[in-house]
Amino acid sequence: MVEKSFEPLIAAFCCNWCAYAGADLAGTSRFEYPTNVRIIRVMCTGRVDSTFMLLALRLGADGVLVSGCHPGDCHYLRGNYMMERRLGYVKRIIELLGMEPERLRLEWISAGEGEKFSALIRDLVGTIKKIGPNPLKNGGIEAEYLMRKMDASIEALKSQRLRWVLGISQVGIKIDEARYKAVVDSIMHDEIERYMMILAMKEKGPLTVKEMSQITKLTPTQVMRHIIALRASGMIKEVGEREHQYTYAATV
Amino acid sequence: MRIGVFICHCGVNIGGVVNVPEVTEYAKTLPYVVHAEHNLYTCSEAGLAAINEAIKKHDLNRIVVAACTPRTHEPLFRLACKGAGLNPYIFEMANIREHCSWVHSYDPKGATEKAKDIIRMAVFRAALLEPQVEPEVEVKGSSLVIGAGVAGMTAALTLANQGFKVYLIEKEAELGGMTRKLFKIYPTLADSTEVVNTLIEVVRLHPNIEILTSTTLKEVSGYVGNFNVILTVPEGERKISVGTIIVASGSSIYIPPKGLYQYGIYNRVITQVELDKMLRDDTIGRPERVIMIQCVGARKGEIRHYDLAALPKSPTAELLRRILKARKEEGWPYCSRICCMNSIKNAILIKERSPKTDVVILFGDLRVYKEYEDFYRKARDLEVRFIRYIEEVPAEIMKVNEEKLNVMVYDALAGCEVTLTADWVVLSTPLIPTKDMVMLARMLKIPIGTDGFLMEAHLKMRPVDASVDGIFLAGTVTGPKDVPESIISGKAAAARAATLMMRKKVSAEAITAVVDRDLCIGCGLCEEICPYGAHRIEEGKSQVIEILCRGCGSCAAECPRRAISMRHYGDHQVMAQLKALLRPALTGAS
Ligand code: SF4
Ligand code: SF4
Ligand code: FES
Repeated sequence: MVEKSFEPLIAAFCCNWCAYAGADLAGTSRFEYPTNVRIIRVMCTGRVDSTFMLLALRLGADGVLVSGCHPGDCHYLRGNYMMERRLGYVKRIIELLGMEPERLRLEWISAGEGEKFSALIRDLVGTIKKIGPNPLKNGGIEAEYLMRKMDASIEALKSQRLRWVLGISQVGIKIDEARYKAVVDSIMHDEIERYMMILAMKEKGPLTVKEMSQITKLTPTQVMRHIIALRASGMIKEVGEREHQYTYAATV
Repeated sequence: MRIGVFICHCGVNIGGVVNVPEVTEYAKTLPYVVHAEHNLYTCSEAGLAAINEAIKKHDLNRIVVAACTPRTHEPLFRLACKGAGLNPYIFEMANIREHCSWVHSYDPKGATEKAKDIIRMAVFRAALLEPQVEPEVEVKGSSLVIGAGVAGMTAALTLANQGFKVYLIEKEAELGGMTRKLFKIYPTLADSTEVVNTLIEVVRLHPNIEILTSTTLKEVSGYVGNFNVILTVPEGERKISVGTIIVASGSSIYIPPKGLYQYGIYNRVITQVELDKMLRDDTIGRPERVIMIQCVGARKGEIRHYDLAALPKSPTAELLRRILKARKEEGWPYCSRICCMNSIKNAILIKERSPKTDVVILFGDLRVYKEYEDFYRKARDLEVRFIRYIEEVPAEIMKVNEEKLNVMVYDALAGCEVTLTADWVVLSTPLIPTKDMVMLARMLKIPIGTDGFLMEAHLKMRPVDASVDGIFLAGTVTGPKDVPESIISGKAAAARAATLMMRKKVSAEAITAVVDRDLCIGCGLCEEICPYGAHRIEEGKSQVIEILCRGCGSCAAECPRRAISMRHYGDHQVMAQLKALLRPALTGAS
């Protein structure tokens, strides 16, 4: 369904001190580039929450750029390192969603790199043109399912459990990388699946295991496992019965 | 909510590309916009008056200016809002010049659409902006001046004379910097040591200046008004705290690599600094001919393509292909500004001592300006000869004997090759960033430009300010300058620093973290994350020490409970722009 040529829309988060200034310099020096990018200024890329990046894609951006100071140059010392780590997690989720990871790009641009900024935009627009429009725009059942999964991912990234495991990796607590990654992966999966269920219940009212399994494409066993956990933490409760099965509703 | 949108033509800078009237009509259709107008120059007196008037007339409480970059103009428009009785934080800028018209001149239609998007994003954000109160910081009445060359010493003296305490540090054992190494200063041919020594004497005797030689920077922390500096001094370490910092650590002179124009191979190939020394020591004698070559290692890597094949067939053109391949064009991309005058000066000095010596200057372009034009004429009157070469056909140096060199050059104006025998070949090389420039830049968080020098906050409008508040730049740290220019920039930097220190207080940006105590569970992650120690856990909840928070927003992006929001950059305020941008693309998201 990829159109031959389309004009991608790219949202760019640029830090005030480097990338935004680099884009300014590209302007002052008249280094032309295509019109597809819209810049959102933040003081530091450290401000760019993981949900911002994913929400941009969820809202239909074809590409997302996060650009800040070179490593070691962050105006606030470590903001760019923290963002880089965060962006790594978001990339994993994007892959998990079956989207092209190239849609999310990280690039360091200093205040003196106007020409590099211009070249970056040209390159990024080319890349996105090649991989095609955001799949959400295709419509149909697949896009609808992807949309559900993305909404759930955004909720997961807002959830205390996932944020906490991601957050502790920022403060240099010594953990075995491989083991840590495995833990993050499993929690990420869990949270996304659970929020898919919760969002479905919120949207459609009380649901049975079978119904949830149909909407979320999870097996009834998986759904059951999450229901046990969600009930234990009080996020859902049993509300009735339908076709000899319990129905559940979200309480959050 | 009553938003006013002011769209600037910036003469033809924006208006020549973006259809401003169309964009203005569009702005009027946006939510909460009760007034939109376009002005020729919104930052002019008339433009600012128009904002003031509209605020009163339409009872506006949120202002959007669509013009240039907020990095230079936001302060001005914020002041205008303040002048009309509004809080400066209800102001938002839409950058439709640097980020739009200036980079999309080939696509006016696309640029116009993009400008509409940018303005829509700004309007949505403006609708959510809140008035903020800026915390005030005290400014210490003391300054650190890094580098005791003419620029640094001038800056130190200027500040000391105004009654401020100055720490003047110099990495070498002596004061004077680069100028001390020169002989005469153009165009007056004044003795450089005389100029420097007078300055050194006054600086030494000044009661407000503390001189620390053989001293380097080790660490800088803090912020405008309160920098904490650790110095490495011969005795070990020393801690000082100052309100402002002036960087005047100068530049280096490019030393050609061995083999470039046979430098380092034949000892009769020297640099201008070596010639300076010979002139000072009077060891040059009465040579028959001295040849100077300009732009050695400078203005290289420019995107300029000569067609070698189109050059007249000659051994030089042949040779050239080989040389260029082998040499890989080592050098710096910019014009060093001072070399032309410096060479002319030394040519005149030679001629004055030894009129019979034939002095020939090989140049690519001769860049003499203002009164230096007369200086150039003087050289011509003294029969200094100028031969134009082209960059792609560099002169070839060949040894005749221990005392003579043959220089073969392609004379671009005559269109033929000439071979001249010389006693000395003098290479004019550029001023380049010092080796420790990168480290210094990192320590102070000042960006470096493509030339490798420190970057000004704005090349035109803030030429001696660094982009970091409270830090100023003087002398050749920002690029090649001659002595008068270095002195001017030293005085300018001092004036800028003094302005801050006179006021004793500056207000800091109100962009700080705020903790929602109901959501916070006191996990302490923010305390670990903040690079400035602005979060403290007290009684099981995080407390932000406002004056320490610099507003990076990292803690807000990491808090597991999403309990931290940023003033002026809250989630909703940032997301408003994203939603405004993408809403037409797709609907139905949270
Ligand atoms: S990270 Fe959030 S929840 Fe944890 S202490 Fe800080 S503000 Fe409170
Ligand atoms: S915004 Fe940055 S500086 Fe301010 S408290 Fe949070 S981490 Fe610290
Ligand atoms: S300020 Fe640029 S990334 Fe932090």
